[in-house]
Amino acid sequence: MNSQPLITTTEAVDKAFYVIFGISGIALLGITVAMIYFVWRYNRKRQPLPISQKDHNIWLEITWTVIPSLLVLVMFWYGWEGYLSLRRVPDNAIPVQGSARMWSWLFTYENGKTSDKLYVPVGRPVKVKLIAEDVLHSFYVPAFRVKRDCVPGMETYAWFVADRTGSYDLFCAEYCGVAHSKMVTTVEAIPAPEFEAWLQAKPIIADVGKELLQKHGCLGCHSLDGSRMVGPSFQAIGGRQVVVTSNGEKRTLTTDRDYLHKAIIEPGADIVDGYPPSMPSYEGRIPEEDMTGIVDYLMGLKAEGQKVEAKQAEETKEPAESVDPAKPAETATASTDPVSRGKELAEKNGCLGCHSTDGSRRVGPTLKGLMGSERTVVRDGQTVKVPADANYLIKAIREPSAEVVEGYPAAMPPYPGLSDEDIKALQAWLDTLK
Amino acid sequence: MSDVTATATSDRGFFGEANYPGIFGWILSTDHKRIGLLYFWCIVTFFCVGVVLGLLLRLELFAPGETIMGPQTYNAVFTLHGVIMIFLFIIPGIPAAFGNLIMPIQIGARDVAFPKLNLFSWYLYVSGAALAVGSLFTGGGPPDTGWTFYVPFSAQTSTNVSLAAIAVFLLGFSSILTGLNFVTTVHRLRTTGMTWMRIPLFTWSLYATAWIQILATPVIGITVALLFAERVLGAGLFDPTQGGDPIMFQHLFWIYSHPAVYIMVLPGMGVISDIIPVFARKPAFGYKAIVVSSLAIAFAGSLVWAHHMYTSGMSDMAVMVFSFLTFTVAIPSAIKVFNWLATLYEGSILLDPPLLYALSFILLFTIGGLSGLVLGAAAADVHVHDTYFVVGHFHFVMFGGTGMAFFAAMHYWLPKIYGRMYDKTVATVAWGIIFIGFCILYISMKVVGMMGMPRRYYDYVPEFTGLNQLSTIGSWILAIGLILMFVNIFRGLFKGDPVSANPWGGASLEWQIPSPPPMENFGEEDPVVTHGPYDFKKAGIL
Repeated sequence: MNSQPLITTTEAVDKAFYVIFGISGIALLGITVAMIYFVWRYNRKRQPLPISQKDHNIWLEITWTVIPSLLVLVMFWYGWEGYLSLRRVPDNAIPVQGSARMWSWLFTYENGKTSDKLYVPVGRPVKVKLIAEDVLHSFYVPAFRVKRDCVPGMETYAWFVADRTGSYDLFCAEYCGVAHSKMVTTVEAIPAPEFEAWLQAKPIIADVGKELLQKHGCLGCHSLDGSRMVGPSFQAIGGRQVVVTSNGEKRTLTTDRDYLHKAIIEPGADIVDGYPPSMPSYEGRIPEEDMTGIVDYLMGLKAEGQKVEAKQAEETKEPAESVDPAKPAETATASTDPVSRGKELAEKNGCLGCHSTDGSRRVGPTLKGLMGSERTVVRDGQTVKVPADANYLIKAIREPSAEVVEGYPAAMPPYPGLSDEDIKALQAWLDTLK
Repeated sequence: MSDVTATATSDRGFFGEANYPGIFGWILSTDHKRIGLLYFWCIVTFFCVGVVLGLLLRLELFAPGETIMGPQTYNAVFTLHGVIMIFLFIIPGIPAAFGNLIMPIQIGARDVAFPKLNLFSWYLYVSGAALAVGSLFTGGGPPDTGWTFYVPFSAQTSTNVSLAAIAVFLLGFSSILTGLNFVTTVHRLRTTGMTWMRIPLFTWSLYATAWIQILATPVIGITVALLFAERVLGAGLFDPTQGGDPIMFQHLFWIYSHPAVYIMVLPGMGVISDIIPVFARKPAFGYKAIVVSSLAIAFAGSLVWAHHMYTSGMSDMAVMVFSFLTFTVAIPSAIKVFNWLATLYEGSILLDPPLLYALSFILLFTIGGLSGLVLGAAAADVHVHDTYFVVGHFHFVMFGGTGMAFFAAMHYWLPKIYGRMYDKTVATVAWGIIFIGFCILYISMKVVGMMGMPRRYYDYVPEFTGLNQLSTIGSWILAIGLILMFVNIFRGLFKGDPVSANPWGGASLEWQIPSPPPMENFGEEDPVVTHGPYDFKKAGIL
């Protein structure tokens, strides 16, 4: 910790403001008074003929060249000194990554916790490392006098320290398109103990799909509750009829997985009627598994009356229901074949968002060849080898953090709602994935 | 200049001497006064369009949320407001209109050095303007990038940025060719006795400006050409994933666009330097210092571009160097202000409309310049960069400076060109309304910017509401003043009382020939100059 009392960025910058405003105020007053006095005193009514025809005075001119030169040097110095304070980050600053994209912010803390508001502890400096995912943005917190552009392809930073609790506006200050003025969030300065508690609290992943939408900034422009934002709302988007303009021609279509996928990858292709063509393409910016998760989630958002009907209709179609682990998706299926039932369960519960079936690496290990293999897992800090059998599968689903496959994060939430029968069905399906 | 004999032509001067009938007498004319008027009317038209757009922006910001238009429209409107005001009004404004009308007469020339090139420049200007307007109705809709066209956004947006880039390219060429023409004219066509130190300060300022136009404008041509390549060919010059750099675009853009600020304001300073001596009946104080400071601004102004980029991510060393250089540019501007004030001292001052506009220039430009010091200081700039403080600042220097100088020039020289006088009382009232509206409109912006409201914001947080409403009310007052001013002056030009050759008592050459001036200005014999432009005794005024 620094032993010196910490100077806030606000204090460092405001010193420059006081000096410049002070000098400028005096100069402006002098110029205004002189001008008004001359116009009054030498008015042609009072002074029909000029008193003199003086057109130069070398000493006067030297004086009013030298004095302003010295004054601007003073201003330069205070400006530069304050700027250096903004660039010199205290050693004990907490690192946070600030990611800017059209048109929202995402802050990621060292322990992986993410938030769309910037929570900071009072009295402790915070260093925000800034990146931009698409175009230029600028991180601006007026209360702390800090601003730094977020530039694609490079990392910039800003630091500040909040000296009292409060909620402070955080703006995007570099024009970034149609919802530039909506790219607003807050810095939440809270007491240090509260901050620690907040930081350690595990996010309740109630809604994996919603998390994904938040993570990729979708909710900056699309609401979930039907309210109009820059883009159309996601409310009841699954299977909804929409009027779009494609290549200048209007047509009506029913949203399906292909449409949603295309709308993310190639948003300019079909523009929903009444909305601007301002969405950037997310091609290459959303990993495939997240994309699947998002499309699954969106397809699951249906109008109330539509739900039952949809469920029946979807028995043979793409399943896309809730992915809430605590409340497993009702299968509502007539499938009696355990293999196809297991597959449906895996899809509906979002297993495939993190586990591939083709051997590729995602957030979690692949499901291909799982059953019967030997797993190297970390249990209570020890690396052990266990056979992947029925018991292993039950444990891995109900209590995933007990044994974590080596080389993967302990990120999977428990799925206590799956019955033994469900897990048996899953096993039957997994057995087919050789 | 007493040797000048006004040759009596027709009462209507050059208006009565067209080489072609009707409209062709204008659009095919190579006479500098006719071309100057072509420019003047185009520029005034675009200024009015820009004002209407500005009023719409203010109306939208009267309350948070949607007031009269949606966000995409708003973004297009502020882009258009910026592009029109900068490229179609303020850059060509004084040089192309009043420079063409007055400069050749001030140095005793019959025309500019390359009259046909001069007409061609006007055609480039009109073509650029037509393309800029065309970009609104074609392609993917009106550009929504702001006049700065920053990448990567400008490279990605589906709106019609490419056409707007071509428009800027053409307008740039128009500006370069006008600059070339003026430099050559000042060097080659000065009449007998018109030594360098007898050149009126207005012409001096155009000369300094012309050099910036020639040297800096090619850079904007290159910049928009590269932007075009980025959009159309996917060149990747500014795309970091393809080895490009978005900050490089900002450097290129400001290497032109900062010197352009001096292209905009130097001619205005020249107008003020010419008007004040005439209405104070005193020679311009520190003539040589004003000349040197114009050239110094032209030179040093080319070295400060990156002060628009303190927060961009460029190195701290660059911030220090550009901050330091920026403060050095402040000094010649300060010298000019002191010289203008000293010119008033011990004079005999007549508060006619041209002087009122000139004095408000000094005051508003000083406020704008002083707030520029805030922006030049690295720490202070970090807080106010890209906020309404900047918007307030550049409207003070550009509108309060160059705009007021343009109005001053209108009230000072248009009676000479049209041979008729406007109503001075109405002009004075209009000036007062404009001044009050201006201050309310833009001081509110500076305050709300200090509070942290970012610019180019369609919507804002509730605590900014009061000042935004005040600012909008100011815009209405300003608009009333502008309407009154334009109606009065244009009514005067066509219906006012005829004026003599020298209504204000000026000592420079343009006041020695009839109003309106005849074709080729000086009749059979070129004038011979025997004294300086502000020597009122030798000119017989005192």
